[in-house]
Amino acid sequence: MTHVHVDELDRIELDDGFEWRPVRRRFGIRAFGVNVYAPGASGRVVEEHSESQLGHQEIYLVLRGRALFTVDGNDHELGPGELVFVRHPSLRRGAVALSDDTIVLALGGKPGVAYAPSAWEAMFAAVPAAREGRWADAIRMHEEALVEQPGSAPLLYNLACMESRGGRPLDALLHLQRAVALDPKWAEYAAKDTDFEPIRAEPGFPG
Amino acid sequence: MNDGYRVLALDDLERLTSTDGTLTLLPLRRTIGFRPFGVNAWLGAHAGDHVIERHREQDGDEELYVVVRGRATFTLGDETFDAPPGTLVHAPPGTLREATAADDDTLVLAIGAKPGKAWEPSAWEDFYVAFAYRAAGRVDEARALVADTLARHPGTWQGPFNAACFEALEGDDDAAFAQLGLAYERAPTIISKYAPGDGDLARLQSDPRWQELFG
Repeated sequence: MTHVHVDELDRIELDDGFEWRPVRRRFGIRAFGVNVYAPGASGRVVEEHSESQLGHQEIYLVLRGRALFTVDGNDHELGPGELVFVRHPSLRRGAVALSDDTIVLALGGKPGVAYAPSAWEAMFAAVPAAREGRWADAIRMHEEALVEQPGSAPLLYNLACMESRGGRPLDALLHLQRAVALDPKWAEYAAKDTDFEPIRAEPGFPG
Repeated sequence: MNDGYRVLALDDLERLTSTDGTLTLLPLRRTIGFRPFGVNAWLGAHAGDHVIERHREQDGDEELYVVVRGRATFTLGDETFDAPPGTLVHAPPGTLREATAADDDTLVLAIGAKPGKAWEPSAWEDFYVAFAYRAAGRVDEARALVADTLARHPGTWQGPFNAACFEALEGDDDAAFAQLGLAYERAPTIISKYAPGDGDLARLQSDPRWQELFG
């Protein structure tokens, strides 16, 4: 498929109440980050976040409807054909839709570095499977992403969550240990994460 | 507002028409200083105008086009289709592609980069802008941009070839031949192929130096 309308994309409602419509994954784009967002139950259309971890510059372009963007604490109401370019990754940014039909195109990448798909895409894509308890599907999506990004601690951690809830305690423990070895902060998250109740008493559980 | 972010409308951007008047660029990337990959907008003021020129991305770039408003007719390879607002069109590297406006005031966003490579601004963007400035009578700005672009992209054939076209259009034949000779030194086969068909250089073909260069 060479073309698709934004309303024909997959729609994945995320826990923060906005809808992710994957574009990069749809076309298998490897050179840049591109996705579409629409308001979900909360009315939010872009989650409030910074890009400090990935170092991405981002452009948000309103394709339809209207949205109230908040960037670095400042509000900007944008309509079709209007955009915000966030140069500094550390700035917090987010948006709420002002009409139900709002569609926002998001572009992102890190200057001076070849683009690589972000780990969060696989984790977002696995949300419907996890929500429906289709653990094998959720695990497979993480494993596929790990082939490309074997050193991604967030992916390993999230995979461990899926495996723990999906009845694969030994795999969960192994992947959690690998995530913690890459970044000890994941041990702190695991200590409070209910996904790990099935394996918390296992020998070797980080803590 | 601060220097960490910028809000603007695509319609706030300059409208830069190509020398032959067939394309209008809204230079988003260079205006905002976006560095991760290429992104620009193309305007078809009237139905029938090109919004994406017929071309292939020979160097391996993949592109995504987004119809922001209006309506476009796209052709990718053997496939032709209607693209209303909100249509996303993916062109893998090497695919022949073009698009024309089906409605007046059609606006298309074009995003592109090469997979697996850190992106660097391409000289075509600056040369396009320089030629548009020249066509609009802003010759001093255009000349300064040509000189700056040549300095930032040393060793390429595209730089002096475009500079030769610029000088030919400006009527400075000596400068045009100096640049054309440099481009030929760097890529004789390519220059021999493209120079005879380039309208910007047509006037030079009656000059004896053309025969000396191309035989």
